Amino acid sequence: MGSWLSRKSKFDDTSNTVYLMQMPRGTRVPSLSPFPLKLETYLRMAKISHKSILGFSLSSKGKIPWIRHRGKDVADSQFSIEYLNKEFGVDFNAHLTNEEKAVSRAFLKMVEENLFWVLVCYRWFFMDPKDFGFSKPIPWLWLAYIRRMTRGYAYGHGMGRHSEEEIFHIGKLDLQALSDYLGAKKFLFGDKPSETDCSVFGMLAQFVFSNIESPHCALIKKEFPNLERYCHTMRNTFWPDWDQVLKGDASSTKL
Amino acid sequence: MRLTFGDTRLLALAAGAIAVGVVLFLNASRKQRKRKKLPYKDESDTVYVVQIPRGKKVPSPSPFPIKLETYLRIAKIPYENVFARKFSSKGKIPWIRHRGKDVPDSQFAIEYLNEQFNVDLEAHLTKEERAMSRAFLKMVEENLYWALACYRFIHDDVRKADYPSVIPTWALLLFGRRIKKYAWGQGMGRHSVEEIFHITKLDFEAISDYLGDKKFLFGDKPCVADCAVFGMLVQVVFNQTYSPHNALIKSEFPNLERFCWTMRNAFWPDWDQILAA
Repeated sequence: MGSWLSRKSKFDDTSNTVYLMQMPRGTRVPSLSPFPLKLETYLRMAKISHKSILGFSLSSKGKIPWIRHRGKDVADSQFSIEYLNKEFGVDFNAHLTNEEKAVSRAFLKMVEENLFWVLVCYRWFFMDPKDFGFSKPIPWLWLAYIRRMTRGYAYGHGMGRHSEEEIFHIGKLDLQALSDYLGAKKFLFGDKPSETDCSVFGMLAQFVFSNIESPHCALIKKEFPNLERYCHTMRNTFWPDWDQVLKGDASSTKL
Repeated sequence: MRLTFGDTRLLALAAGAIAVGVVLFLNASRKQRKRKKLPYKDESDTVYVVQIPRGKKVPSPSPFPIKLETYLRIAKIPYENVFARKFSSKGKIPWIRHRGKDVPDSQFAIEYLNEQFNVDLEAHLTKEERAMSRAFLKMVEENLYWALACYRFIHDDVRKADYPSVIPTWALLLFGRRIKKYAWGQGMGRHSVEEIFHITKLDFEAISDYLGDKKFLFGDKPCVADCAVFGMLVQVVFNQTYSPHNALIKSEFPNLERFCWTMRNAFWPDWDQILAA
């Protein structure tokens, strides 16, 4: 694995197609990681021609997803979006006021730097791996390695130092904030989706569609039903082919 | 076995070394006992805040003790600082002790104190404002914090930052290595210096744009998010005044500096008196 794989002929560096490197599809969500789902939702929203390459080739920063466009690699989903905004003249925040743009960034970071770690801790420490929704069972050696690595990362971040109840509570407060701000609106900032909607959807889809056995999914259904409604809105609007994608369609190819 | 003169000399040296060691140990223990102990079975309402000693430019080189102490001052909760390198059960500082109960983590401490003292700094906010308040709190503590920590410990010389003199340089450098490892796991540490500066700028811009001309983030009354933002921004505005972030605030986001002065004058009128000499 590694960057030598990324130079295979699957990438056509002369076309305007954006190649999105991401993990193989899940059985319940197009990606079990919120960041590829965020990035792919953005590409669909922006109607940018793209193709997903499914595999585990990590970026220069050691992570997934990353993109290649006209021979240029961009690592990190947010830097990728900033690059694509410039390349394709896209700005999903153009209709927002300055204060709304500020709030948009705050929610983006709350979801990606806080709620994300709640998801990670729950998935890798407290849930049964067969409930993840991976297409194949994870070999026990890989599972042990990923758990060990995640424990170290989560401890360094801080979330890993809390108890399960405390982590659940932190997740609940974040979900409450999202629910209260969304209210009865179609998207976070009204009738038009913004950039942050891609990220919020990418994260919430993990709770609502993937981790359906988790206590946060039950919490959303019971106390924050507008978040589930929002996920269906985003899915129906930008992923009408959701079921075909899960089965494996032309939008993606294996590395 | 008969001891030679050489053996005797060796024994005498060993005995001398042990004696010196015992004297040093007893002396250190005496100093330890003289250092202020944290009361355990205190039935008063006083909240004991355990944090590292004061700096010369800022009450704490860490944003979280300043956030917690500012909250206590706004809520007018009686508290007493215990300046010690005693870490919480979660291995961090600050933490509090109240009526014999320990609560680590500044945010859990605030939630606990809200309940104990019937405080709610967000009572005047609408539901949407409370939601935004949480979002800004998390942006500052889970994103901006790492960007600034990477600058302080990895990109720049940490010895330039204002730290209490009781913390030796080797401890700072060791902590810096740990931060580098943690930042890699968290994600921020994988970006370049320019990328991290760019991320910091976007966070400053968000806080500045939302604050605008207002006195505090949500109007004329402060809330917990203001305490967190203040604790973080003072590290740039008053501590690391030599940093490019300080120059950035002065040139592009002057209302952030104005906000820091507002918070400092309102809740830390004794700022100059409490700093280390």
